[in-house]
Formats: sequence, C-alpha cells, structure tokens
Amino acid sequence: MDRRSYQGLIVPIALLVLAIADFIYLQPLQFINALTIGGIYALIALGYTMVYGIIELINFAHGDVFMCGSMVTMAMLTGLGFRGAIHQPIELIAILIATFLVAMVVMGIVGVIIERIAYRPLRNAPKLAPLITAIGVSFILENIIQAVVGPQQISVPQIMDPQSQVSFLGVDVSFVKLFVIFIVIALMIALQLFVGRTNLGRAMRSTAIDREAASLMGVNIDLTIALTFFIGSALAGAAGVVQGLYFGTTNFQLGFEAGLKAFTAAVLGGIGNTTGAALGGFIIGFVEVNATVLGYSRWAEAFTFTVLVLVLVFRPTGLLGQQLAERA
Amino acid sequence: MELKRLGVLAVAAAMAVTACNTGSSSSPSSSASASGGAGGGSGTAVTIGVDFPMSGGEAPNGVPAANGVKLAVKENPVPGFNVTVNVLDDAVNGVHNPQQGAKNLNQFVNDPATVAVVGPYNSNVGAAEIPVSNAAGLLQCSPANTSPTLTKPDFGGLDLRKTHPDQIAYVRVATTDDIQGAAGADIAYNTVGARKAFVVDDTETYGKGLADQFVKTFKELGGTVIDGDSHGVGKAQQTDFTALLTQAKAADPDYVFFGGVTTTGGGLLRKQMVNQGMGSIPFGGGDGIVDGSAATSGSFLNVAGPDAAMNTYGTVAATHDIPDPDKFASAYKAEYNADPGSYSAASYACTQLILDALKNVGTGVTDLAEMRSKIRAYIANPATTFTTVLGSFHFDENGDTSQKIISDYKYDPDSQDWKFFQQKDFGQSGS
Repeated sequence: MDRRSYQGLIVPIALLVLAIADFIYLQPLQFINALTIGGIYALIALGYTMVYGIIELINFAHGDVFMCGSMVTMAMLTGLGFRGAIHQPIELIAILIATFLVAMVVMGIVGVIIERIAYRPLRNAPKLAPLITAIGVSFILENIIQAVVGPQQISVPQIMDPQSQVSFLGVDVSFVKLFVIFIVIALMIALQLFVGRTNLGRAMRSTAIDREAASLMGVNIDLTIALTFFIGSALAGAAGVVQGLYFGTTNFQLGFEAGLKAFTAAVLGGIGNTTGAALGGFIIGFVEVNATVLGYSRWAEAFTFTVLVLVLVFRPTGLLGQQLAERA
Repeated sequence: MELKRLGVLAVAAAMAVTACNTGSSSSPSSSASASGGAGGGSGTAVTIGVDFPMSGGEAPNGVPAANGVKLAVKENPVPGFNVTVNVLDDAVNGVHNPQQGAKNLNQFVNDPATVAVVGPYNSNVGAAEIPVSNAAGLLQCSPANTSPTLTKPDFGGLDLRKTHPDQIAYVRVATTDDIQGAAGADIAYNTVGARKAFVVDDTETYGKGLADQFVKTFKELGGTVIDGDSHGVGKAQQTDFTALLTQAKAADPDYVFFGGVTTTGGGLLRKQMVNQGMGSIPFGGGDGIVDGSAATSGSFLNVAGPDAAMNTYGTVAATHDIPDPDKFASAYKAEYNADPGSYSAASYACTQLILDALKNVGTGVTDLAEMRSKIRAYIANPATTFTTVLGSFHFDENGDTSQKIISDYKYDPDSQDWKFFQQKDFGQSGS
C-alpha cells in the first residue's frame, strides 16, 4: 500500500532523527513523560481517525467518550471499594484486566448507540448536519455526566501505586508510566493487526474506500460502520482507564481539551490514517514536553499548533496523508 | 479572585452576625426581624443585579454567593422599597466567560430598575465588566475579585475606567492579590523557612498576579526563585503537570507556590507532586485553593487527596476573626439547608452596602437614574464607613476596601481541613 520511493522515506527518517535528537535533549525522564501523555492522545486520536476514515465525520463527541470512559473507571473502582494502591500483583492484574474490559466494552456500546441514534439517520445528509449533531452529542454527554457526578474534579482510585518506581535506562521511572506506554502500544498493534489481517478489518477498509462498491461485494455497511464506532470508542474507553490510573482524577469537561488535541493529532498525522493518528498523538506529547523543558510551558499550545500549521503547509494531507484511506 | 472562604464558616458566619444586628450604619436594623419578604410588597420596585458563574465547574462558588445576596435582601428590608434580586449567569459551557459577564452588565445597565450589581466572581470577568459599569455609573460590588489590575492605577486600573476615571463605580470587599501574594511569600520565607521556591501560575488574571507578587516579595525577603520567574501553564496543561514537575524536581526546590484556583489545576498539581515523589516539599497558594475541607467534593484538599495535602499553606484575603460566625452560618443554613459557601458572607456584605445606600439616599428619589447615581456616589465616597458582616470599612479612591487583612491557613491532617494559624494586617494606612 505504500510506494517505496525516495519521497516516502523522508517523513520516517526525519522523525527518527528528531526523536533521537530529542531523546538526547530531553533526558530519559522527560522522554518518558512525553511518550506517556503522547500515548494517551494517540489512543484517543485513533478513534477520531477511524470514524473519519470510514464516514468522513469529525466525531466531536469522541473526546467526551474518552471522558465517560474515565468516569466508568472511577465508578467501577470506587464501587468495588478500592481507595488506593493494590499491592497484591495477582489481584492488581485481575482488577486491571477487568477494568479495561468493562470500560472498553461499555464505551464501545455507547459509541455504537451514539452512531445508531445520532449519526446513522444523517448518513446521507449534507456533511454539516452530522457535524453539528456530533457537537450536540458532545454536550449531551458532558451534561449527563455533570448532572450525575457533578462539576468538580473527581478522584479515581489509583490502584497502581503512582510512587512505585523501576529502574529504566539508568533512571528511576514511575512504573505507571511504563505501563501506560506498554498498554497504548499493545492496543495500537492489536488495532493494526485487526484492520490489516482480519476479514472484518478488510470490510472496514473497503467501506472506507468506496461504500457502494463494498456493499455490492457483500459487505454489511451498517454493521461495519457500527464496528468502527465500537472499536474507536473502546479505545477511547481504554484511554479513560489510563487517565484514571495515571492522573487519578477526572472531570466532566476533560473530554474537550483531550478531544481537541486528539483531533489535532489525527489531522497532523493525516486524518483517516491510523498510523498517522498514533504518530500525531506522540508528536503533540513531545511538543508539549519540549515546550515545558524549554521554559515556555505557557506557550505549549502555540507550539503545538505552530507545528500543525507547518506540517499542513508542506503536507496538506498530514504527515502520512499519502496513505489516506483511498489508497489503503 | 476569590476571597474565598475565609475559614470558611468563619467568614460567613461573621457576616451574619453583624448583618443582622447592627444593620450597618444605616439600617435596616429592624429588619432583621422582619419578614422574609423583600421590603414589603409596596414601595418603589428596585432590583439588585447579581452576576456570578451559576453553572459548570464554578457553580459551587457562584450559587452560594448569589444566595448570600438573597439572604441579605430578605433579612434587611428597606422601608419604602420593594427590592428584588435578578441573578444572571456568566458561565458559558460551564466556564466563567468575560464576554458573557459584560453582556450581563449591559443587561443590568439597560434595566432602569437595577440600582446596583453584586458580582462578579472571577477577576477576568471583572476586567470586562468594569468599563461597562463605569460608563453607566452603575455601582458594582465584587465579593471575590482580588486582582490589583482591576482598580489600582499602578497595575493599569485606570485603563478600565476611562469613561469616568474619577467616578468609582466598581468597589470590592476583598483585598487585592498583591497583598495576598506578599502574604504567601511571608509564609514561605518566615513560617516555613523556605529559601528556594518553584512558582507555577495558571496564566489567568488572578493566578498570574498572585504568582508575580509572590516572586517579587519572596526575592525581596531574600529567597531565590527557580528560573527567576513563575512558570505559566496554559489551559491545555492544566491537567498534566508531569513534565513541569520533572523540571522542578531537578532544581530541588524547598517550596512550591501555585498562583491559581482549584479548577485551573491547584489540586491536580499537588496530587501530581506526590505522584512524582515531591510530596514532602511544602506547597502554598492563595485563596483559590483554600476552598473547603477534604470532604467537600471538588475542593483543593479533596482533589489533591488528604494525604497529598500535607504541608500545604493558603492565604485568604479576609479577616478570620469576625464576630459570631455561627449566627450567619445558621441563618444561611435555615434558609438554604446548606452550609454557606466561601463567598456567601462577602456577597451578603456587598448587598448590605447597597441596601444601606438605598436607605440613606434613596428615600424620596423617584427618578431611577438619579437613584442609581446617588447610590454610586454614596458607596464610593471614602468618607462613608460601612458596618457589615465582614466588619467596618470604607472604600479608598480606587474602590478598594480599607480592610487589608490576610488570614493564613495550613492544612490540618486531623480535621482534614484548613486550619487558621495567623492573621496579618498588610494595610499601610490603617483604616
């Protein structure tokens, strides 16, 4: 799917050089901070880009799905009576798996319901209509959560001790951060395998390229689109769990900023392209951390969007935009 | 901005007392007994406008503050007037919004029955509203704004009242951040004994002003500020301080100061300090973080977590030792079946000024525009002394209160709440 040309290598090589230079500049601790926060953005960005890839809808409610995922995590862990770190490894692993499963399945189902109610009826409407609906869904989710749990910051039990450290690359790194990075990368690989190697994944790709043709070839379009929403929202739900584990707090407005950044990440990487979205998320994480290390934390957003503008000026389809869905 | 809870209850309480009993200079003492009604159904109908964030994340501060106004109106009827309260929300999508605040002020200005306004809560909303109230000559009293930029000429206060620089229409009962920041530095240097501080601000009017003054005073006292200045964090970073704290840790500070409020990241910053293994470093902030016990949902202590809050200090731009706090609290509780909020008492005091002015200059005035102008002139006059639930004070030539008392608080692990430990008067001129 990608052409092995000289041009195609520019982006990866440039990024690799930048990453190495940045590692030397940032030092391992900040490099890991950047990977962690970037990974969370990337996880959310995947859902944006998958939905855009398949129905060309910018799903503004996606950030709020992430927020709801963190709320599910909070409700589940609080409901089970956890208050702090679990030190029993077996119990911890069991609870972690259960939390991820519950949050991902619940948010996946929520995503499917949103698609069914708010987007499917508008599938053939002018593109502005579902866009506005998406903004509406975003407010609805925020308001529901605000009504149920209130407007304040809510603590999520940090079942992984945030202060436990492991030695990594010669420095003591918080174990939670490494775990977050591991989970994010594992989910990304799983997604790539699913989209690239399975029949359902093939159905998703073909629907993205040409919905009518795919339908003529026997692909169940409604099911495929619903599946896309399920997976995208489940990933956002996983990001919500990660938010809870890592920061230990959530809030009904969390989804807005996160959604905006994830959307930016998706555009940066080339919207519609899952690898690009992941890449974009990490890039934003790195830009923010670099801004802070440079002493310009108050300019971090300006830095992020400057990078976005520069990339779009030179590559209007985003970093990996060549591999847009049409060429998948 | 917030004068926040003076020792929470304390404040509130305080006001209560005075309010009812003395009835301030003017008045309505009798009122206390009176009925719940607003001044009796007959009489000239006048309105007190109220502008606070009534929805979203700051509703927990805005709603009790608005209740303070309503309680004051109910408890202090002014003979000959039927006073009603018109509450407008300056939050848009759950966040205080300066444009919405200015729009609300215009609405009050255009309503002839509105004789004065109580609000706003946030300093940046105040910056958008002051030009409107100043141009219209409509008195506005903020219970919570503490940014010096709103009033003091040295901080650019004249830019906000260009229309009538000499006719003060905006007054406030909280003292200013330049004093709170100095008090914060005083705690860090003298109480804690810190010499090397790391300073973070949320880049908002309140937070930046507080942090800048902390930096200035801390250096004057002889301390060092890492990187020489405050580290601002934009809105997007206000949930993730990890990278900033990694930087801070490398510089090995013995104090961390935050200029901002809980909703812009105060509690998260402290919590993440602990997650990063920096929990043993003392932490300080202004009234923006002194917002209730660990049991109060969404408060700084609640967000940071009771354990993380160890060694945390806060200042409040208000008097701690006010008389009879319980009386206000119980009156408030009887009316609203809830404890007073951080600004309930201050809003009550603002309303007392207005009712006092109404009583002293309003009688016999039938032209509402004239009434508005007389009320403004009466309240802004430095010669007028008011007795309120917050105590006695007057306003200076910039509309700032003569009370410049800062109360210092420290987190108390036993009660899991802020505990008052000292009160310092930073007023130069005495009252």
